[in-house]
This record gives sequence, structure tokens and C-alpha cells, in this order.
Amino acid sequence: MNNDLHFKDNNITILKLLLYFLISVSFLIVDKNLEFSNKVRINMSYIIHPIYLAASFPSNLFNSAKNYLNSKNSLIEENKILKNRVFIQSGIIQKIPALKQQNKRLKKLLGSSNSQSSSKILIATLIKVDLSPFSNKVIIDKGKNDNLYLGQTVIDSEGILGQISEINYDFSVVTLISDAGHALLGINPRTSKRIFISGTGDNRKLKARYISLNEDILEGDILITSGLDNVFPEGHLIGEISKINRDDHNDFLDITVIPSSSMSLNREVMLLW
Amino acid sequence: MLLFGIILNLFPLPQILLPYKPPIVLLFLIYWALAYPNLINLTYAFSTGLIMDILLITPLGYHSLCFTITIYLILLYYPQIRLQSNANKMFSLLIILIPYFLTSTVVNKILGINFNILEVIASVLISVIIWPALFNVLRFIRQKYTS
Repeated sequence: MNNDLHFKDNNITILKLLLYFLISVSFLIVDKNLEFSNKVRINMSYIIHPIYLAASFPSNLFNSAKNYLNSKNSLIEENKILKNRVFIQSGIIQKIPALKQQNKRLKKLLGSSNSQSSSKILIATLIKVDLSPFSNKVIIDKGKNDNLYLGQTVIDSEGILGQISEINYDFSVVTLISDAGHALLGINPRTSKRIFISGTGDNRKLKARYISLNEDILEGDILITSGLDNVFPEGHLIGEISKINRDDHNDFLDITVIPSSSMSLNREVMLLW
Repeated sequence: MLLFGIILNLFPLPQILLPYKPPIVLLFLIYWALAYPNLINLTYAFSTGLIMDILLITPLGYHSLCFTITIYLILLYYPQIRLQSNANKMFSLLIILIPYFLTSTVVNKILGINFNILEVIASVLISVIIWPALFNVLRFIRQKYTS
């Protein structure tokens, strides 16, 4: 390349840099809450979905190979354990109708409003792709055709996972409760005090915020959803209080909560209606 | 080629390794910018960044901003970097990646995204360590298919 041309080129490049810098920054300001890019993603989901599938293909392959290579003995063993578990759990479930009736009656006596429990459950599979390490979002393989709605609760077998934040044609985005921008209102069943729980961006940690220094709260307390935030239904497990830091210089306690669900390590999740 | 890099970037890794993942698409872009500085311009970097934003569900402009700045540096210094030895290239890459992670850190901070600074540093170092291998693989592919 000619040297003079090179010099001229550089000038244009600086202008371009400035232009793109400004465009990017304005995009960032407009799209802080992902509203604009949601629309783009919905319109482009036919292109995006195959890319996700291609990226998750190796891990799927690995898993199916692992399934295929399972020995007969280990399968028999697993089957035995699972049968046992189903037996015990159906024993526990027997009591639920009676408890439901009792609960209804007691609530009537107390004059409190009836909270309806979820009636329908749909199992969705996670599409295993790595998103940005800073965002706590996962992608599931259920979309518009399955009558999902925004803010729908997603749980796994151990506890609450998050809510649906975006619905596309054949995949949806779930924001985990550990996302830095996510918060929910939980309740401590031991004291029936409401607790505000927000995500930290770390999958293994939540924070309980705005709890005064003299509040009755202990390490090991279990937190459940309160149903008061109008997003999550009542009574699902959120997590367990693992550490309480008492710093007299702060106005509030510094409380770490370990979520009970295994977050993005799941393979399958449940959607509640 | 870039599509392959994007897919590679989306590959699931074990949870423990996740925070240390190097920005593979950016490394691909850097290689192509070094190889064809006339072809890979800022428009290219910007649009790749937008694609990444859409795929990774980050706010639009996040990756495009970081990519544009990095590729600008490459376009500024590619004549020097091209002539360097492998070890020197690693050092140059380290210098060039610092503004990238600085920008992403600043944007993270403004958007209120939590992150661990040690993990960010580790991610830079891993990018630098895998660079020679990546460089040779990409050069092999390029020489095989474009000559």
C-alpha cells in the first residue's frame, strides 16, 4: 500500500471509530433494559435458533453418548433408586388433598384471601449455550407456540429458578433470580417476615437486602416466595441463609443467601401456569 | 469463518471455567484484521459486535463498542505487529486487549453488572496464552483455502 494513501486511510478510520463509538454508546443508553434488542431477536429468531442449536450440539452429543454407554447394571440400580423415590413421594402426596382442604378452611376462618396454586406444569429443556459470563440468563426450548407469557415462573426440582423475560418463536430467555438486575420478595416462614432478595450476578449467591440490625434472622433459615410480588406464586423454595455479616457501621445486615435450585446447571426445568 | 468463531464462543464450558473464557470471536477478528487489514475494517468489527450482542443477550452496543475499539488499535498498529515474533505478538496482544477489558469493565460498571476483577484479568491472560496456537491454526486454515 502507498504511504500517502495509508495516511489518508487512518484519518477516515478515526472518523469511523468516532461514529461507531457514538452509535454504540447511544445503543447502550437506549437498550439498557434490552427492550430494543428483544424486538430484534424476536424478528430474527429463525436465524438465531439454529446457531444456538449448533453451539449446543457437542454437549448434547456428549450426553447422548454417555447415556448410550451406560451399563445395564447401573441402569438397573438407578431404576431401583428412582422407583423407591417415587414410592416415598407418592406416599407424601397422599396427604396433600387433606392439607389443601384444611388450609382452605383455616384461611376462611382467618378471613384471608384465597391464593390459587398453579394447575399446569410444562417441562422445558435448557439449550446449553454459554452467554456472556456477566449475565445470568438461560435459554429454554419452549417458545410462542406453548402459550408462555412474560414473567412466567420457572422452577426446577429444588427451588425457584427465575422468570421468563423474552419469548421468541422457538426459544425463550429466562432471567435467573441470581441476575444482578433481578429482585423478588421472599418470606421467612419461621418468623413470617417479608424479605427482599436480589441477585448478585453470581449464580451461587443471592443477597437479602434492607434488613435492619435488630431483625430476628438466623443462619440456616429457609426462605420461600411470598406471592406478594405478583410474579412468583406463593410457597416455592428460594434458598437458605448461609451467612449474616453484622457491621455496625452499616444500617442494614449483610446477608448472603444460597439459592436452592442449581441454576444453569440444570438440564430440565419446569414452567408453571 | 467468523460464524464458526461465534459458535465456538457459545460452546458450553463447565461452570467453573466460564468466567475465565477468552473472547474467542474477538481473537478471530484480530487475526483476520492482521491478515487482511484492508478487508476487515471497523464496520466489520461493529457489525460482528452487534451480532454478538443479539446472540449473547447483552444490551445492544456492548460488544460492538469493545470490538470497534480493539480493531481500531489493530488497524493502527498492524504493520508493526505483523513483523513481530510470536512472543512479541503475545505481548502486543496483551497491550491491545487491555483497552478492550477496560471498556467492558466500564460498561459493566455503568450497567450495574457485577463482576470479579480477578476473573477479568485471568481471561486476558488466557487469551494471551492461547493466542500463538490460535494464530497458527487460523493461518494454516487461511493458507490452505485462500491461496
